[in-house]
Amino acid sequence: MNLKECYGALEGDYEDVLGRLRTEKLVQKFVLKFLNDKSYDLLCSSLEAEDYGEAFRAAHTIKGVCQNLSFTRLYESSHDLTEALRSGWSDAAAGLVERVKADYKQVTAAIEELQKGLEG
Amino acid sequence: MSKELELKQKILIVDDSEMNRAILADMLESEYEIIEAENGTEAVAVIEECRAELSLILLDIVMPEMDGFGVLEIMNKREWIEEVPVIMISSESGAAPVKRAYEMGISDYISRPFDSAVVHRRVVNTIMLYAKQKKLAALVMEQIDENEKQNALMIDILSHIVEFRNGESGLHVLHIRILTEQILKHLVQISDKHHFNQEEISLISMASALHDIGKISIPGEILNKPGRLTKEEFDTMKTHTTIGADMLKNLAFHQDEPLVKEAYAICRWHHERYDGRGYPDGLKGDDIPISAQVVALADVYDALTSERVYKKAIPHEEAVRMICNGECGTFNPLILKCFNDIADVLPDRLKECNPGRTNEQELQEILENKLQPKDSSASERTLRLLEKERMKCSFYASMSDEIQFEYTLFPPMLTLSEWGAKKLRLPEIIMDPFKENGPLYSLIERGDIAEFLRILTEASHEKPVVKYDCKANIGGESRWVSIVCQAMWSFDDESQFTGAIGKAVDIHESRMRIDALEKMASHDSMTGLYNYDYAKNQIQELLKNREGEDYVLMLIDVDGIKKANDMKGREFGDKVLIHVAKHMKEIAGSDEVVARISGDEFLFLSKCDMDLDSAAEKVARAAEGEYEGFQISVCIGMAGTRNMGTNYNVLFHGADAALRAAKKNGPKHRENYIKLM
Repeated sequence: MNLKECYGALEGDYEDVLGRLRTEKLVQKFVLKFLNDKSYDLLCSSLEAEDYGEAFRAAHTIKGVCQNLSFTRLYESSHDLTEALRSGWSDAAAGLVERVKADYKQVTAAIEELQKGLEG
Repeated sequence: MSKELELKQKILIVDDSEMNRAILADMLESEYEIIEAENGTEAVAVIEECRAELSLILLDIVMPEMDGFGVLEIMNKREWIEEVPVIMISSESGAAPVKRAYEMGISDYISRPFDSAVVHRRVVNTIMLYAKQKKLAALVMEQIDENEKQNALMIDILSHIVEFRNGESGLHVLHIRILTEQILKHLVQISDKHHFNQEEISLISMASALHDIGKISIPGEILNKPGRLTKEEFDTMKTHTTIGADMLKNLAFHQDEPLVKEAYAICRWHHERYDGRGYPDGLKGDDIPISAQVVALADVYDALTSERVYKKAIPHEEAVRMICNGECGTFNPLILKCFNDIADVLPDRLKECNPGRTNEQELQEILENKLQPKDSSASERTLRLLEKERMKCSFYASMSDEIQFEYTLFPPMLTLSEWGAKKLRLPEIIMDPFKENGPLYSLIERGDIAEFLRILTEASHEKPVVKYDCKANIGGESRWVSIVCQAMWSFDDESQFTGAIGKAVDIHESRMRIDALEKMASHDSMTGLYNYDYAKNQIQELLKNREGEDYVLMLIDVDGIKKANDMKGREFGDKVLIHVAKHMKEIAGSDEVVARISGDEFLFLSKCDMDLDSAAEKVARAAEGEYEGFQISVCIGMAGTRNMGTNYNVLFHGADAALRAAKKNGPKHRENYIKLM
């Protein structure tokens, strides 16, 4: 799987990110780096601890990173979750957490595929 | 020098996401040196430390610990925002945060997602704009300088015309200017009443050059008459004040120019006297503008020390003496004091005579004054005083063996004096000092820190200073320190607690000495038990504060000590007593008292849960036994609070009588005072 296919699989906007970050090499560097980003773990652990202020910040960070990388699908769900968490916990937020988790898995699965392709 | 070795400008990137910092860093690191901070608190620490080297800050809004607005608030409070431009970054949607950030002084705003070209352009633009502003400021400064020179030149020419007619030395006007300036500069330093900034002082000094322009219309015969003037001539002479003033007043333009206004006052009133006996208006005291008062004094001094057609020059010291003695008219005491204070340096200043030049530093001050909004800036005098205080503090801090500190609540920051930081092996600035496992906790016990903070919160405006003694780990050694600190509140109406300043003094040696003295005063040196007096105090305290507890006071006599002394020597007898003391001490609880009251007599105040006899048995079991072949037994006299109350003397006498009764019955006897009755 190449970078463009990876963006297709994670439902992002490849043209957009390439337009902004200029080179494929740079985009790829940051896409791979996404796997090491701790915000998602922080989101999960703070939700578990019912620390919704921290969860808001974590969701906000995920949103910012996705925005920078044009991970459109995960950006949209994390954006909605950020806005929901801004005013604390709600049923709507619970639904959005599930969406973010599913989208995040979709993104990491795609990037792992990309990584395999690069190593192989 | 190769390009790589050139100093790169520094940019601070503040963002909680490492990814986002990395993306920005990647875009900029080829041209700039990047410093990163992952939250507001860290950012503040970086800015505090190296703001002079920072060209720009890229600041995220939503962050843990302290958010971007928090950073901006501090940058505003400390006026850092004037020094380093800030570009805000965030994916926050909506205009409100952007507006708020602009109001807090940011230069620009970049929203996510980052476009490398846009980020790059904005960063370059902002840095350039700031550089440009600094360059412009330098240009303005040159202009002011140039302007001043031109003005000074015109005034010099004009006043020289007057002097020329007057036959004066040509230096008179120059001297008046220098004297006026020197006196005013000193005046603002010693007086709270008079606030002239550098610009105003320089304006008045310049205007002082025009003080005698009215003389242009005084006939030459009178002006240059070698002998004494007649009354008529003197009256004519006097009109130079009003004529000069009128000349200025009748100028077609420039009526609102500060220079013209100052010059008018000086021309008209520089012959007024503080006691009201001057001319032309007979103004008195502070009705005479300060500028005119200062010029009047300068005029008199220069007239005295210069040669004129009608007189010789008087030496400096003599002139100063005459003026201060009131031989040359009455002056405002404050101005006279200024004059007297700086009299010693005046001859040199007048000799240096660098007309119309404002030095670099003064120019800088004038410029800053022009650039700053008028109401918010502290006056020059205040700043100078502050700087002086700061120098004093740091000097005293370096001289004394004290660890000085300042703690601010917002941002949560502890600043240590240079010496103190070195001594404690801590950084000078500790952000968030009371967070879990911060570096302070390796120094001072957790409980002590908590107690100290509690005491600090109890400080009030009436009692702002609090003191706390505790042990601290200093240079790897546990030592007693005394922390004295003054709580601080905000100066507004809310008067919020904002932090504290204070010092920690090493009191280890004196504390140890006092402890040793206290021990010596309260203990029996042989057995280490309390002595009688101290035990008495302790018992009285205990009995006073007891809560429904019953006590028994026992006097214990060790049997046969005299025999032991006789048989095995006095040293052996002492060893037996030490042995007994040790075992009794072992069974004494923290709210019980054991003491040695004389040779072989001990006292034991014991809690009495059951009856007196079992309390006595407990003590006897501890005291009795065998010591190196010597069978120890004791007699005990008891007196219990249950029957006899808590008066110490009553109890003691009871126990004493009981002991004597017990001893009468031979060794190893116990007696209860109540049962004797």
